[in-house]
Amino acid sequence: MGMEKQPRTRSLPPVDRRAVLGAAIAGGAGVAAARLLGLRRTVEVDAPQLTAEAVAKRSGLDWVSPLGDEATRVTHLLRRTGFGYTPAELEIALADGYQRTVDRLIETPPAEPPDLAGAEDASQAKGLRVVDLQSWWMDWAIRTPTPFAEVMTLFWHGHFTSDFRKVGLQSPYVYWQARTWRRFFLRDLRSILYEVTLDPAMLRYLDLSQSTGANPNENYARELMELYTMGSGSFTEDDVRSASRALAGWREPRTRAMVDAQIADTIKRTGSAPPRPPVADTVKTGVFERGRAYGGPDLTFLGVRRKWDTNSVLDRILEQESVAPFITRKVLFHFVGPEIEEATVTRFAERFRKSRHDMRTLMHDVLTSPEFTSPGAYRALVRSPIDFMVATAKALENPQLAKTAPASGEAMGQVLFDPPSVGGWPSNASWISSSTMLARINFATAAVNQTRKVPSASDAHAQFLDSTLSPQTLAMLNAVNDDRKRWAVVLCCAEFQLK
Amino acid sequence: MADVGINRVSRRDFLRAGLVFGAGAAGLAAGYAAVPDVFTRAVYAAKKDGRSNDRVLVMVQLAGGNDGLQTVIPLRDGAYRDLRPRLSKAADAAMPIDQTFGLNKQLTGLKSLWDQGKVAIVQGVGYERPSGSHFDSIRVWETGDPARRQVEGWLGKTIAKNYDSAGHPLVGCACGATGVPGALRDLEATLTVINARQSFKFVGGDEMERAAGALYTSTPGIYGALFDTSVATARDTVAQLRTAASKYVPKATYTDNVRLPISSKNQLAAALQLAAELIVTGTGAKILHVTLGGFDTHYTQEARHDGLLGYLDSAVSAFYEDVSAYGMADRVMVATWSEFGRRPRENASAGTDHGTAAPLMLIGDPVKGGLYGEAPSLRDLDRAGNQKYTVDFRSVYQEILDSHLGVDPREVLDESFERLAFTRVPVSRNGSAMIAVAAG
Repeated sequence: MGMEKQPRTRSLPPVDRRAVLGAAIAGGAGVAAARLLGLRRTVEVDAPQLTAEAVAKRSGLDWVSPLGDEATRVTHLLRRTGFGYTPAELEIALADGYQRTVDRLIETPPAEPPDLAGAEDASQAKGLRVVDLQSWWMDWAIRTPTPFAEVMTLFWHGHFTSDFRKVGLQSPYVYWQARTWRRFFLRDLRSILYEVTLDPAMLRYLDLSQSTGANPNENYARELMELYTMGSGSFTEDDVRSASRALAGWREPRTRAMVDAQIADTIKRTGSAPPRPPVADTVKTGVFERGRAYGGPDLTFLGVRRKWDTNSVLDRILEQESVAPFITRKVLFHFVGPEIEEATVTRFAERFRKSRHDMRTLMHDVLTSPEFTSPGAYRALVRSPIDFMVATAKALENPQLAKTAPASGEAMGQVLFDPPSVGGWPSNASWISSSTMLARINFATAAVNQTRKVPSASDAHAQFLDSTLSPQTLAMLNAVNDDRKRWAVVLCCAEFQLK
Repeated sequence: MADVGINRVSRRDFLRAGLVFGAGAAGLAAGYAAVPDVFTRAVYAAKKDGRSNDRVLVMVQLAGGNDGLQTVIPLRDGAYRDLRPRLSKAADAAMPIDQTFGLNKQLTGLKSLWDQGKVAIVQGVGYERPSGSHFDSIRVWETGDPARRQVEGWLGKTIAKNYDSAGHPLVGCACGATGVPGALRDLEATLTVINARQSFKFVGGDEMERAAGALYTSTPGIYGALFDTSVATARDTVAQLRTAASKYVPKATYTDNVRLPISSKNQLAAALQLAAELIVTGTGAKILHVTLGGFDTHYTQEARHDGLLGYLDSAVSAFYEDVSAYGMADRVMVATWSEFGRRPRENASAGTDHGTAAPLMLIGDPVKGGLYGEAPSLRDLDRAGNQKYTVDFRSVYQEILDSHLGVDPREVLDESFERLAFTRVPVSRNGSAMIAVAAG
C-alpha cells in the first residue's frame, strides 16, 4: 500500500527549521546549534556539550544532546525504561518530574498480564500456538500500566534465554517462564538464579532435567557460569564438570493436563491404561529426585572441595568477584550506552555487590547516575525490534498492532521466545542491516496504514523526537503535509530508531 | 535500468557526504573498534579493484557445533562403539567412502557428489587450546584468529581488501539472515543482508523508498553511517532483485519450509535458492554466507542430527543442481564450517557435549574430491576427553583464498599454513580469466 493512496487530511503547520535543527558538527567547538525544547516551547541556544574524548571518537555529525533540559531527561528515561510511551504516560511523567518518575518506576511492582486462555492446559493433546504467546506478550507490553516491568522481562528473557523450539509448546512451560521472568523484575540475583535453575522451560532448554549425577549433561552448568553470571574465562572446564554433577537431580513437573494426555495416549496405543499411571505434580518448578542426583566423592568446584548441591553451587558462584562486574556491564550496555569505561563498571559493580546483588539498587544507581543523562548517552542505543514495534503502537495509540507485530519481528531480527542462540539477542549496531532497516520502514508504513484513526501528527516531532532532528528529517517532515505521512516520517526516521 | 541509475546517483551523493565528513570516518571506525559489541561500516569502502575472477564462495555455517563423528563416521573403530554405545548404530547405516569412513545415511546427495569427485572432506580441523564456549569459538572461526586479537571477520576482510563493495553491495551477502554474520564483518566493507527474498521490497512503494533514501542521508550520531549504508544498500538490493527476478527461475527443487527441522531457525533451502539466484543473474555476488542452526545436540541427538543433515543434504544438492543447470557450477565452491565438533563420549541424554576438532566439507566443481588431513585418534583424547586437532582451520581458509578466490591469503590470515590442495584448478592470482565483478 503506497502512502499516496491514503486520503488527505488537513494540512499541518510547518516545523520551524531554526527551532529544531538537532545535529551539529561535534568537532567544532563553539559551533552553536539552535533547537527547540519542544515540550516547553522555549527556544534555547547552546553549544554541544561533548567531552574531548567523545569528540575524538565521533568527530562527524552528532546529535546535540537536549538532556540539559528536565523535560527531555524525562522522555529519555521513559524511552529506556518503557518501550516508548503514550501521550498520556508522557503527560504524567512530565508532571511528576525526573526524580519522582524514577522512584515510581522502581517502586511499582509489575502488573501481571491477564491469563492466556488454554495456556495452563497445554499438553501433548493440545499444544499452544507460538503466535498466541507472542501476541499475548506484545499486547501486554503495549497496554501495561507498568512498562518498566516489560522492559525488564525482555531483558531477563534475553539473558536467561530459552526458546520455544527446544522447549516445545505441548506444555505450559514457555508460558510459565514468561510469567516467572516478569516477577523477577528488580529482585536480588540469588533468588532469581534459584528460580531460573528450577524453571521447567530452562530445565528442558539447557538439559538440566536430562542430567544425572552418574552421567551429567554439561549444558546448563556451562551456560550458568559463562552466560548468566560470571562470563567466559572466569572458570575452568573442571568447574563445568563439577557443577554439572552437583546440579543434577531435577526433573520436569507434570501438570494434570499433561498426565491425562499421556494416559489417553497410552490407552490409544495399547488399548489399556498404563499399570502405574504418572501422577500430576502440584508445583510449577522442577522436582528434585535424590536417586538421580550425584552421590560420589566430594568435588572441587571453583577452588573448594566439599559436597555440593544446587544451593551451595549458586552461593559459591555469587561469591566470585566476576559476577557483579559481569551483570553490571550488561545492564550498563543495555540501559546507558555502548561505550562504558571499565572504571565506571567497577564503580557500579562495587555497590551492586555490597547490596548482595540487589537489582533494585543497581537500577536505581544507573537511572540516577550522571552517565545516564550525559550528552554522550543521548541516542546512544538502538531500539530493539520489540521496543520499536511497541513504541510505534504506543505513539499511534493503536494496541491492535500487537496482532501483526509477531510476524514482523522476524525480518527485523527479533522474535519473542525464539532468541538466535543461548546468548540471547545482539544489540545496537547489530540491529542495523539492509534487511532490518527495510523491515522497520515497512512495519512503520504498514502500522500507519493499519491505524484507522491516526492521532494528530502536528506535535509528534516534539513528543516523540524531542524536537532534536537531523536536517533531512526536518526537511522530510516539512515536505509532507498530512497526518499519515508525517507519522510515517516520524516512525521511519533514525531519530525514532534510537533511544 | 533506470532504478539502478537512480541508486548510483544517490550512492554518489552519499559518498560525497561521506567526504565532507571524511575525517570523521576514520575516527568513527576507531571508536567502534574499541568496543567489540559495536561495529559499523565506514562511509567509504576500499576501492582496490582487480583480482576479480568469476569464482564464488558460499559458506555454510552449521551453528551450535556439528557432530563430526556422526557426519563422517568411523566404520570399524572399536573405540567409537565403546564411546558411543547408542549413537554408533549410525555406522551400520553409513555409506562407505573408503575402507575406514562412511557418510551419515542422510547425506545421499553429497555421497553422489563424492562419487563424482566433487566433495573434499578435511578431517581433524580445529585449533590450538580450543574453547568450549560457542561464542568464543565462533569468534575464533569468524575472525580466523585463535589469539583473539582481530575484530574483523575473515570474509569481511577479504572483501574490504579485494573488492569494490561500495559500488557493488552484493559482493558480500548474508542470505536468510537479519544481521551481518561475524565472518563478514569489516569496517571497510559494504555488506547486504537479505532475510527473505519475497518480502525484500518497500511496502510503501517507490514513494516510501525515495523517502527512506532522503531520510537516511548524512544521518548524525555514532550509528549514522551504518544507518545510511544499510538503507542505501537495501535500496540497491531491492533494485538488483527486481532485475534478477526476470532472469531467474529455479532449475532444481528446493525443499520448502515444511521440512525445516524444528530445532533450526534457519531456512537453509530458501537461503541457498536466493544464493543461486544472486550468482546466476550476475549481481556480482562473490562471497555468500548462509546458516543452518540447531547443531547443539546435547540430548536425544540421533533424530535431531539426522534431521539437520538430511535438510542440509537436500538443500546443498538442490543448490548444486540449480547452479549446474545454469552452467555455472565450475565457479562455485560451497564450504561448511562449525565452531567445534562434539565430545566423543555420548552423555546420559543420548546426546553429546561440546567437543573440539571435526571434519568439514568443500563441495562443487572447483573441488578436487577426497579425504584430506588426518582423523584424530579416538584412543588418544585430551584431558577433557576431546579429540586433538590435526589440521589448523586456517589451512582451509588459506586454500579457499589462494586457489579458489585468487586473493592473497596473507593479507587476511597474517601467517602461512600448511597447504591443503583441495582445489582442482587453482585460479591465477595475477588475474587470468579475469571477469569484472559486476559483469552481467
